[in-house]
Amino acid sequence: MFVHRGVPALVVAAALLVALAGGPGPLPAAGQTAGALRTPLGGEPPTIDPYFATDFSSGDLTLLMYDTLVGFDGSGRLVPEAAKSWDVSPNGLVYTFHLRDNVYFHGGRKVTAADWKWSFERMGDPAVQTEVGDVVVGGIAGYDAQQKAGGGLAGIKIVDPLTLQIVLNPNSRGGFLNRLAYYAAVVLDRNVVERGGKSWYASHDAGSGPFSMREWVHNDHVSLTSAPRYFLGAPKIAGVEMPVVTQAQTRLSEYQAGQLDLVQVPLADFQRIKADPVMGKELLVFPRAQIIWLGPNPRVYEAFKDARVRRAFAMAIDRAKIARTVFFGFYQPAASIVPPGIPGFYSSYKGLPYDPAQAKKLLDEAGMTGKLPPLTMAINPIAQDYQMAAEATAAMLKENLGVDVQLQRQEFASFQQGMNRRTVFPSFMTGWAADYLDYSDYLDLLLYSKSPLDRVSYANPEFDRLVDQANAAPTDAARTALYHKAEALAVEDAAMIPMVFTQFALLKKPYVRGLQTTAALSGFLKFNTVSIEK
Amino acid sequence: MLRYLAYRVALIVPLLLGTALLIFLAGHYAPGDPVQVLLADHYTPQAAAHLRHELGLDRPLAAQFALYIARAARFDFGVSYINPDRRVADIVRQTLPVSLRLAAVAVAAAALAGTALGVCAAVLRRSSADRLIQLGVIAGLSVPSFVVAAVLVLVFALRWRLLPVAGWGHPADYPLPAAVLAAAPIAYITRISRASVQQALSEDYVRTARSKGLPGRSILARHVMRNAALPIVTTIGMAFGYAITGAFVVEVIFNIPGMARVAVDAILQRDYSVIQTAVLLYTTIFTLVNLAVDVSYAALNPRIRY
Repeated sequence: MFVHRGVPALVVAAALLVALAGGPGPLPAAGQTAGALRTPLGGEPPTIDPYFATDFSSGDLTLLMYDTLVGFDGSGRLVPEAAKSWDVSPNGLVYTFHLRDNVYFHGGRKVTAADWKWSFERMGDPAVQTEVGDVVVGGIAGYDAQQKAGGGLAGIKIVDPLTLQIVLNPNSRGGFLNRLAYYAAVVLDRNVVERGGKSWYASHDAGSGPFSMREWVHNDHVSLTSAPRYFLGAPKIAGVEMPVVTQAQTRLSEYQAGQLDLVQVPLADFQRIKADPVMGKELLVFPRAQIIWLGPNPRVYEAFKDARVRRAFAMAIDRAKIARTVFFGFYQPAASIVPPGIPGFYSSYKGLPYDPAQAKKLLDEAGMTGKLPPLTMAINPIAQDYQMAAEATAAMLKENLGVDVQLQRQEFASFQQGMNRRTVFPSFMTGWAADYLDYSDYLDLLLYSKSPLDRVSYANPEFDRLVDQANAAPTDAARTALYHKAEALAVEDAAMIPMVFTQFALLKKPYVRGLQTTAALSGFLKFNTVSIEK
Repeated sequence: MLRYLAYRVALIVPLLLGTALLIFLAGHYAPGDPVQVLLADHYTPQAAAHLRHELGLDRPLAAQFALYIARAARFDFGVSYINPDRRVADIVRQTLPVSLRLAAVAVAAAALAGTALGVCAAVLRRSSADRLIQLGVIAGLSVPSFVVAAVLVLVFALRWRLLPVAGWGHPADYPLPAAVLAAAPIAYITRISRASVQQALSEDYVRTARSKGLPGRSILARHVMRNAALPIVTTIGMAFGYAITGAFVVEVIFNIPGMARVAVDAILQRDYSVIQTAVLLYTTIFTLVNLAVDVSYAALNPRIRY
């Protein structure tokens, strides 16, 4: 067979041409809008339906494009958002919200009380099965009936187009406003949702927030453009460009190269960046509403059935030293469960002290000295923090109590599954971050005996009673006092062992002005106050 | 030849079926439950049962597999577990071209550079240029791609600011990831082409050509290269395979929205349908590349007949 000698060269050249002829490809690059803020999404958002937004990417997008009735400011205080004010009946059960007259959906329609009613009913609708219904509208009168039979929520009434009344179930009135400030408790444009079908959010948003969706190129980026009719005034930036960048290291490099304006700093790089002459000045550090905690599981590790043993473990761990040396002072030792940044933070509470002698004594009283079997500690693999905390803890437990601790690392799915099953891990090191800034987001979920997330199987009737009472308390002060009692009880029972409260570290370019930070979410509030001054 | 071609193509079918079965079983028996991952902190036994039913995970294994094959044959890979509103076929349509384009650029660059360097080294055997090239080959083969990537990013993107750190969409986004993907194949191709050109150079027909007074360049092009081409073509085929798998590191580092990065995300999120599809597609691509290489033997070398 005769082959022209140019064939291999031609093949190569053709391959090259084919490759290049494709040109830059069908994906438009992010960062095209002049005057836009560029900040990354940590992963492809699985949805941008706010009622299903439980990951950080879709949470951030919901925050930027949608409005809640009330919001919280940088210090965690509740502030009016789409409702300009509200009245609460003397018994604390009837909330009347006076809506603003100038809130418009991005499609141009004015937001009225009927939109809120429809939205909240969709949130609770058992046929839709949203992720957030239980948290936000679970306390509204008629919720149980809606769960059984579908239909509307009897507790929500339209008084007039700009007045919305919500009646609560007497057993779960507490923290209602904080729940309404949850980033997902937003109003949706019914027309968009109903006309758009199942994935209505793929090309349009149904929001009324400071930004609207311009485009979502899957796995590549989401572009937002500023909404001129936003009720607090049009944002000062043209939009927000959010490329999907899955690697923390890549995000950091892109920031360094000037391709991004605002990024989170991975813990491993914190010290290097702090010492960097340029980036050190661009670093923002502030408390995050997140706790790292150790879960002793009495269902698997027999000795943990005795509260004295759990307490001994808690008192044998030097949290201050872990915060200082392992986390180089970036995190704070945790004496309680609910982090600073949550309204009502129990700052005066000292918790269980680090006291190895007392710990040994407790172990002795329990008759377990020298008899503790080796303990396996599973580590949440999603962040390096947990491994770091677990290694130090294991060493301290060995030194102070003589117990052999084996660290067990596995991939996230198995870890999640093991925790949920409750009968797999003898102990586990993990964390919890606030969805909304309220006590109930911690105590009710993590330790209440009927909660599906009570992974340490804590079942103390006294604790449950205090939480129930807190949720039915008539005033915020009374509620906080009851929650503090419940919290102290759980800490002293060592139902879960608090380790450290974490912090946020963000890098922000100096030309980005007016950013408001928060202890929740990804560390920032809506960008409507942000300007870019180059 | 045609019979051979038909035979080889037919062989692909059982191969892919077997692969599909393996992938399916691996996904099924791997530790960790996708339902638990999907529900995460919202886990309740009721919600889990509901979701399991919705995803069809409560059906008998054989039924699940049969359905999977029947659909895959129609390029229907179901929906993503993580984002049920997205069809896997759509994800593939969007991301696979990105990966293929990047791989093609890398392979083309590697083929050109590798052959040139290899021929150079063979012709200038035992010179300092040859030694330098040999040193480069060892470096290219032994330095892992994530190190090459880090060094290139540091120098070209962070220090000199010539190219973007990461991203996709501009022509300027190609050079760094393509260079990382091409590094090892360049080394391979250089080594192989040096060896085979060297061998061809020592053949009798080269001496004959020389003695009849042909100029060096035309000996190289007409006699040496044609005889040395066979192993080089094989290596280029392998380079394509390398570029496709290397993309699993490179696409993640350079944040390129290709199939490999999507597959990595899917693995981390246990997005079964996407993982299965990715593995199936990559197996298909490998099989086709190997087939193309085998067939090209015959086309390039008149001594080979099937």
